[in-house]
Amino acid sequence: MKVGLFVTCLVDLARPSIGFATLKLLQDAGCEVIYPDTQTCCGQPGYNSGAREVSRELALKVLKEFRDCDYVVAPSGSCTGQIKVHYPNDLFRGAPEQRDFEALAAKTFELSDFLINVLNVQTVPGKFEGAVTYHDSCSGLRELSVKMQPRYLLQMAGAEIAEMADCEKCCGFGGTFSIKLGEISTRMAENKCANIRSSGASTIVGGDLGCLLNIEGRLRREGDMTTQVKHFAEIAAGDLSSLDGSERNANTNEHG
Amino acid sequence: MSARENILARIRRQQGRSGPTTAEEMALVRANIREHGVGPKPLAAQAEDSLELFKRECQRLLTTFAEVDEATVPHEVARYCAEANIAKSLAGWREYSHLHWPAAGIDYAARAANKDDTVGFTGCFCAIAETGTLLLLSSPDQPKLNALLPETHICVVPKARIVPTMEDAFALVRTEVGEPPRSMFFVSGPSRTADIEQTIVIGAHGPYRVHVILI
Amino acid sequence: MQVQSMHFKRNASAKLNDAVLQRNMQKAKGKFVDGRAKAVSEVENWEAIRTHAAALRDQCLANLDAYLLEFEANATRHGAVVHWAETAAEACDIIVKIAKENGVAKATKSKSMVSEEVNLNERLEAAGIQPIETDLGEYILQLAGEPPSHIVAPAVHKSKEQVADLFVAAHGKPRLTDIPAMTREARDALRDHFLTADMGISGANFIIAETGTTLTVTNEGNADMVTTVPRIHCVITGVEKVIPTLEDFATLIRLLPRSAVGQTIANYLTLTTGTKMPGDQDGPEQMHIVLVDAGRTKFVGTDMQDMLRCIRCGACMNHCPVYQNVGGHAYGWVYPGPMGSILTPTYVGIENAGDLPNAATFCGECQVVCPVKIPLPDLMRKLRERQHDMRLRPWSERIPMAMWAFAAKRAGLYAFLSKWGARVGSWLGGRDRLIHSLPGIDGWTQGRDMPAPEGRTFRELYVQRRDKQ
Ligand code: SF4
Repeated sequence: MKVGLFVTCLVDLARPSIGFATLKLLQDAGCEVIYPDTQTCCGQPGYNSGAREVSRELALKVLKEFRDCDYVVAPSGSCTGQIKVHYPNDLFRGAPEQRDFEALAAKTFELSDFLINVLNVQTVPGKFEGAVTYHDSCSGLRELSVKMQPRYLLQMAGAEIAEMADCEKCCGFGGTFSIKLGEISTRMAENKCANIRSSGASTIVGGDLGCLLNIEGRLRREGDMTTQVKHFAEIAAGDLSSLDGSERNANTNEHG
Repeated sequence: MSARENILARIRRQQGRSGPTTAEEMALVRANIREHGVGPKPLAAQAEDSLELFKRECQRLLTTFAEVDEATVPHEVARYCAEANIAKSLAGWREYSHLHWPAAGIDYAARAANKDDTVGFTGCFCAIAETGTLLLLSSPDQPKLNALLPETHICVVPKARIVPTMEDAFALVRTEVGEPPRSMFFVSGPSRTADIEQTIVIGAHGPYRVHVILI
Repeated sequence: MQVQSMHFKRNASAKLNDAVLQRNMQKAKGKFVDGRAKAVSEVENWEAIRTHAAALRDQCLANLDAYLLEFEANATRHGAVVHWAETAAEACDIIVKIAKENGVAKATKSKSMVSEEVNLNERLEAAGIQPIETDLGEYILQLAGEPPSHIVAPAVHKSKEQVADLFVAAHGKPRLTDIPAMTREARDALRDHFLTADMGISGANFIIAETGTTLTVTNEGNADMVTTVPRIHCVITGVEKVIPTLEDFATLIRLLPRSAVGQTIANYLTLTTGTKMPGDQDGPEQMHIVLVDAGRTKFVGTDMQDMLRCIRCGACMNHCPVYQNVGGHAYGWVYPGPMGSILTPTYVGIENAGDLPNAATFCGECQVVCPVKIPLPDLMRKLRERQHDMRLRPWSERIPMAMWAFAAKRAGLYAFLSKWGARVGSWLGGRDRLIHSLPGIDGWTQGRDMPAPEGRTFRELYVQRRDKQ
C-alpha cells in the first residue's frame, strides 16, 4: 500500500519532527510511504484570501504529485479539508478535472482518521504518562469529523485525556486571520489558554500545527514556559531517533 | 418604471429570464402552493398521545391546566381565581356566556377586554399538542385582546380539538373556515422576555398567567 | 443606521478593551449556546427538517418574482395595500406618507431589523411622528439612543445596571435593579402607548404567498398589540421573506425559536391577513405592506443567493467566536456576526465594509448551526475573492500574498526559500526558541510569541536521510 505523505507547508518549515513522527507512525503500521519532494502547499492561504487562481494551480500540482499513491495522508485537518472538501466541491466543481479531484479526495485522509479508521491500528509506539488536554481544530472537527481518532491514539500511548472546557472552540488561528486581525485572534487564543490551564493537564495536544503555534505563542507570551504543546503524532510516535538519526541537531526536539 | 417593476425585472434579469413573469410560471407556483407539501415532523410529535403531549408541553411553557366537564367550568375558574388571588370578574367570549357564572360567584362580561380587565376568558379554535399551543382565530365574537391585555388569560380547550401538529391545525382551518381569518393567533404560555441580561422574566406585555381548562 | 463597518478593526479593538461589555457578553454567551444545543438535541430528525427548510427556501428564491406576485395578489384580495421600495429612502417615504395622510401622531413599533436598516425612526421623527419601540430590548435602546447589537436580543450588550440608569432617567421612578420589577415598570410605561397609538409598525418574519399573510414571532406579546390595536397597521419587510404556504411556516417555526434561543416555540405567533372584517371588535382598518429591496436582489441569481435563505435566527452570531469577543456594535451596522459579514458588504458596498468578510477564522461553527444550511464561510470567501480581484485589500496583504503565490508554484524556489526561512527563523528564536517580535507579522507578535522553527525543513532532512540510505 503506497501512502503519499503530504507533510504540509507549516510542518515542513517549522516542525519537521511532526513530519517524521507521521512517517514513523505510517511505516510502523506497515505502509510504504512516499514523499514527493516537489510538494509545497495545499493552497489554503491563498484560497482563504480570495486568490482562487493560485489555489487552483496548487491543487493541480498536488493532484499530479500524488497521482501514483493509493492514499494521501497529512498530519493536519485543515490541509486535508482543503484537499478533500474544497478542491472537488468548490475549486473544481463543474470543471473537467472534477472527477480527478473527487478521486483524490476519496483517497486523502487526516493522519489520525487514517490510522484509526483505515488502518485500524490497535497500538502505537509512543509512551506517555500523565494527562493531556486536547484541542479540536476546526477543519478536522467540522469538515472531516475528526474527534475521537486522535484521542484513541493518545490513549494507546498511555495518556489520560483531561478535557478542557470549550475544547471545540476555535483557538483564533485562522491562517492569515491571525495576522490581519491579530487583536481578536489573540483574545481567542487567550480564552483557549485559560481553558487549557483550568484543565489541569500539563500538555496540550492538537492535530494542526497552525493552532499549536498560536496556542504555544500565547502561552509563552503569558509567561507559561512549562506547558508542553504537542502534535498527537509526536506523542503517538514516541522516540524518533531510530528514524531520522544524527543529522538532526540535538535541540530540535525541545520546542515544546 | 415603478419600484415594483424595477424590482421584479431585476430579479428576472439576474436569474437569466427575460420579460415579465409568464402565465406558466405563475401556474407552476400556484400548483406548488396547492400541493401543501408537509415537511418532516419531530418524531415525538407523532409518537405520543396528543392529550398527554399537550399537557406535558403546557407544563414546560408554565401554562397551568385543569380537566373538568363543561358545566363545571365556572367552578374551576372560581377555584383558580381564588387560588391565584385575583378578582372574579372576567371579560370573555360570547360563546361561553351561557355557563352558570353567577352560581360560581363570577361576574362574566361578554365583550372585548380593555386595559382595566384583569382576567380574559377565551375559547380556542384548536390546540396543538407538539408545542402546547392554543390557536385563536379572530371573529366578531372572538376578540383577540382577551388573550392579550389582561394579566391572566383563561382558555377553554375541548380535548377533541387537540391536534398533533401545526400542519394539522392549518388543515383544520382550511376545511372548517376556508380562507384564513384576519388573525390567526398562536399562544404558547404566558408572555415572557429575556431582554435584560438574557434572564427569563414571565409577563412582558402579554399575560403573566395562562390557565387552560380541558373539557 | 449609519454604516460604520469600515472601522471594524478599530471598533473591535475598543470593544475588546471594554470591560463592562466583555462582562455582559460573557453572561449571555452560554445561555444562547447551551439553550440551542439542548433544544436541538430533543428533535431526533433535526437534520431532515433543516434540509427540508433549506430546500423550500431555495424553491421560493428560484421563482421569487412569481411568489411575490402571488403574495401581492392574495394580500390585496384581503384588503391590504402592497407597496414596493427599491431603496431605504423609498421605504421610509412610503410609510411617512401613509402616516401623514392619516394624521398619525404616534406609532408603536415591534422589533423590525428592516426598519433599523432603513433608518425609519429618524425619518418618522423628522416628520413629526413619534415612534415608540415596544420590544423591551428595542425600548431600552431607544432610551439609550443606540442601535441594536444583536438581531434577536438587541440589548444583549447592556447590563441591568445600565438599564436601570436609563429607566430612572426616562420614567422618573425610584431605581430598580430587580429584573422582573424592571420589566413590569417598562410594561406599565408602554401600556398607554399601545392603546393610544394611531399606527402600528411591525416587521415580518415571513410572508406567505398562498394567503397574503404576514406574520410576527415574539415572546413578549408586543407585536400582537402593535398589529391589533391601532387603526393602521404597517408592515415593513424584505422581499426575500416570502414563503409558499402555511405548511412551510410550520416547518420553519420548528427551527427558528430553537436555533435562536433554545425554545421549542415562541410564545406568540401572529399571522395577520388583511384588515379588520365586518363586525370584528379589534384589528386595523388599513393594512399596508412595504416590500423592501435595498440590496437584497443583488444576491438573486448569483453564487451567493443562498444567503437569502436566512431566517434571522441569530444562531450564527451566538456561536461565532469573533462575535462572542467583540459584540455586535463592532460590525458597524444592523446585521452583526457571520450573516452580517455577508449582508453588510453586499448591501452597503464591499468598499465600505472590507474587513467584515475577513473577520472570520472559518471555524465553521456558524454553518453547522445555521438552520437553513447557509454555507456562511464559503460566502465570506466569495467576498474575499471579490476583494482580491478588485485589489481592495491593502498592499501590506497583497504583496506577501503575491510573493507566496509565486514561490509556492515553483518547487525549487520554494525549497530554497523555506530552507533559508527555517534557518533565519531558528536564529531569530534565540535561546528561548521564541520570536518576540517580527515586522510583517506584528499582528501576531503584538499578543503572542512565534515559536521558532526547528532550523531545517522536513524536505532537507528527508532528502538527506533518503540519500544516505
Ligand atoms: S445565517 Fe443562518 S444562523 Fe445566521 S441568522 Fe441567518 S438563518 Fe440564522
